[in-house]
Amino acid sequence: MLKQTTAVTLLNLRSIPQRWGMSLATVLSIALVVGVLLGFMAMASGFRATVDGAGSDDVAIMLRGGAMAEMNSNVSRDDVRLVEIAPGIAMGDDGEPLISSELYVVADGIKRTTQTRANLALRGLGRHGPALRPQFDMLEGRMFEPGTAELVVGESVLREFDGFELGQSIRLGSNEWTVVGVFSTGGSVFDSEIWADLGVIQNLYDRGSSVQTIRARLTSPEAIEALSEYVENEPRLNLEVLSERAYFARSAGGTTNLIMFLGWPLAFAMAIGALAGAWNAMYASVDARTRELATLRAIGFGGFPAFFAAITEALVLAFAGGLVGAVATYLLFDGVSASTLGSGFTQVVFAFAVTPDAVVQGVILALIVGFLGGFIPAIRAARIPLLAVHND
Amino acid sequence: MNDATLIRKNLFRKRLRAILLMVSILVAFLIFGVLGALQNAFTAGTGTAAQERLVTVNRINFTVALPYAYWGRIQQVEGVRNAAPASWFGGYYQEPQNFVQSFAVDPETYLEAYPNEIVLPPEERAAWLEGRTCAIVGRALATQYGWSTGDRIPLMSNIWQNTDGSQAWELDICGVFDDTEGTYPTNYLMLHYEYFNESLAFGRDSFHWITINTTDPALNDQVSQEIDALFANSSAETSTTTEAAFNEAFMEQFGNIGLILTWVIGAAFATILMIVGTTMVMAVNERTREIAVLKTLGFTAPRIFRMVLWESLLLSFLGGLIGLGLASLAAAAASGALAGFLPSFGLSLTNVVTALVLMAALGIVTGLLPAYNAMQVRISEALGKI
Amino acid sequence: MTDASALYQLKGLSKRYTRGKETVAIFDGLDMTISQGDFIAIMGPSGSGKTTLLNLLGGIDKPSSGEVVFEGQRIDNLSQGRLAKWRAKNAGFIFQFYNLMPTLSAAQNVELPLLLTSLSGKARKERVKTALDIVGMVDRAGHRPGQLSGGQQQRVAIARAIVADPKVLLADEPTGDLDRTTADEILQTLQLLNKELGKTIIMVTHDPEAASYAARELHLNKGRFEEKGKA
Repeated sequence: MLKQTTAVTLLNLRSIPQRWGMSLATVLSIALVVGVLLGFMAMASGFRATVDGAGSDDVAIMLRGGAMAEMNSNVSRDDVRLVEIAPGIAMGDDGEPLISSELYVVADGIKRTTQTRANLALRGLGRHGPALRPQFDMLEGRMFEPGTAELVVGESVLREFDGFELGQSIRLGSNEWTVVGVFSTGGSVFDSEIWADLGVIQNLYDRGSSVQTIRARLTSPEAIEALSEYVENEPRLNLEVLSERAYFARSAGGTTNLIMFLGWPLAFAMAIGALAGAWNAMYASVDARTRELATLRAIGFGGFPAFFAAITEALVLAFAGGLVGAVATYLLFDGVSASTLGSGFTQVVFAFAVTPDAVVQGVILALIVGFLGGFIPAIRAARIPLLAVHND
Repeated sequence: MNDATLIRKNLFRKRLRAILLMVSILVAFLIFGVLGALQNAFTAGTGTAAQERLVTVNRINFTVALPYAYWGRIQQVEGVRNAAPASWFGGYYQEPQNFVQSFAVDPETYLEAYPNEIVLPPEERAAWLEGRTCAIVGRALATQYGWSTGDRIPLMSNIWQNTDGSQAWELDICGVFDDTEGTYPTNYLMLHYEYFNESLAFGRDSFHWITINTTDPALNDQVSQEIDALFANSSAETSTTTEAAFNEAFMEQFGNIGLILTWVIGAAFATILMIVGTTMVMAVNERTREIAVLKTLGFTAPRIFRMVLWESLLLSFLGGLIGLGLASLAAAAASGALAGFLPSFGLSLTNVVTALVLMAALGIVTGLLPAYNAMQVRISEALGKI
Repeated sequence: MTDASALYQLKGLSKRYTRGKETVAIFDGLDMTISQGDFIAIMGPSGSGKTTLLNLLGGIDKPSSGEVVFEGQRIDNLSQGRLAKWRAKNAGFIFQFYNLMPTLSAAQNVELPLLLTSLSGKARKERVKTALDIVGMVDRAGHRPGQLSGGQQQRVAIARAIVADPKVLLADEPTGDLDRTTADEILQTLQLLNKELGKTIIMVTHDPEAASYAARELHLNKGRFEEKGKA
């Protein structure tokens, strides 16, 4: 039985080049299905990695109640003072609480690819600001001097937007700034931002002493409970306390869900189209070999080898299609930098990420298409009547 | 019986194969239709009127406010017929998740600026202009939250604070507006700027944008330059563009949605082109003998060419029209569910025409080679003996 | 010179094929006259060019040189399009393997040649019925070829050949795939068409019994005819 099956399967696979037109169409159509799926998944996982990477569990972010996003929040100097004495917040080496009051405004940048204007986040932060970003690293230059019109830019901003090279002076709104440093936060959403001194931003943008958010380093992820309790019980405070991870998950969820809600149904619909193609190709394959299969039956081969051979052919074509799709998507899209509007009307720069997990899912989808497309033709192959020997 | 009978019988000779091909074509046009509807939703509101209206925003960014005094000064600019100021309200209803697109506007000038987008019965219009706490809501939004004229609702803002310390503004719904052609979104709410402004805890006397109608669209360039020159070197410089350009620039910030959709549709069509193309070639090859018989009977080569081409066109249109039909059903179903979020989710005439052109193109492209092959069939070779 | 009663005149007909580098002549300088109302059986060994001759008479193939004259008109130099029209009007074909369209009913198969005429749908239906009546297949009009026996299929094929009322019927081994009894029935039908309706019939066969139904037997051998008289 095993010998029979191997023999028929090999015979079958060797005949694929004789039907190269249909076979190639099947491989390529499955490749396109997998390509579309992986393209969307790469977009979603790239975006998610960027935004999730920004949030840590031991950093708390406080916004005005109901504000939902930093952009809409407003926190007064008095609120900041009350938070400074809150429990659960870690102390720096200097004995001061690790807190950063922050305010960001929107500035225009020119996208390198399209030469169109897009919104960038210009964030004013306090002394402890960088320390609250876990993977903060100064790649080039130095930090801005407090009280001066100096900027440091995230590496993604440098990559995607014009005019932010080190040492450049740049006009944002009605103010001249000088770029004195380039930083990285390990590919997180902060790499899409421009940072400057909080006091300077408050001053230039007429914000008085108010800020939008307070970030605080917690003594441990669990300490957020103590902080929340303190804020809730302090009648002078109307703040929402969230871990930074929860905050970013909330703001990224919409976009990644949108991408996936679009990606899977599209890939699924295309898979149905490709399924029809695979089915046709396999029917053609079985039809073309009707006489050969009947002859094999006549000399004593069973029906199962014919079934197995046909389904193997379908799976081989599908697998080839899946691999072609995955490799093409990887070569075309992996690491491609893109940017979209994140929460708060500013650009988030992210890189398409074709993950091994997604590739596996893509190849599985391809094999499912191959199996379903090959199943019924394979049953037909197993049931070819002996009399078909006489067909011409 | 006529040629059409022959074409139909040939197409459905192997019924399963024909159905499978039709399903794959159907899927491609379903994708085309749904994504087209999606794109319409994203680009809604960029009609011809938007090409003629101007929008002035803060040069830094449209989220940054402009001083109240700019309104008066812009009205003085020569060529400006109407100037309508507005502010983001950032509204939500009851829960922060229940986002309500809402603006604080000057009613009279705003209605003047958007005659086709906002259509109100005369008595509701009068009520809105009169009542300080009055607001009007679009049909889609009213349906979403079950609001009707006469309701009093507290609308929360996630941007602003009321002088009473809350973030709520009490609003009376004085009217529900439609749009003239069913082509503009009606998923937003408008309240009186004056009522909003006087109870602001911070950020009083400012606008986010001013919509401008000029006396003649030909003056647009000149007017926008003049306005921007007026405020150059001030603390709040302006940027004035057509509303269409402004919307487009805003949409572009999401990334190149159009490009992504084009890629996906392209992939879907490449798939069916290959599948249908190779299958048609195969199907016609299988019929070589019959084609030879038809030729023997006296059917001319051009007639046979046409019959094969019509066969692939019939296939393409059958699959395509069903797919497009399903897409419009899907769009109709989705537009109900997404009314508040993505208005104008539906197929436009352009989509339908494009789809028909694509069906014809697909039919011709997949039919040409097999039709040519059929035309070239040589009777004596195909039949061996007659 | 043309003979008024002659349906076909073949003048110096040659047909050569190139097989590889070699040129093979099937026949060279064939002359022949076929009169209106003839029933001719063309016999000969395989490869003698019987089918090629029938192809030339039917306007399916073109001679290498020489003329095929039909009712005083040369048909060998007509364009493919004109030849198609000529075939539709003048020739009816009967094949060894019937060559009916598997997707069409018997009646629809018979109706096919009428699609090339300007007859109305109603007129076509009547003609189809008459043709099926002649071959005795009216009661099977709605059947598909797959539901008919070989003899029945050949009857439908004959009905298809005569439905447009052509001047000549060209048959290539019409009984080659049938048993003796059925073959005799088919041949009787052809004889009837010749005698009663005056159809000119040219039939290629290798079966002497089939040939015996014809009025004339021509033996094609090495590109030459040898006529055998008949009683």
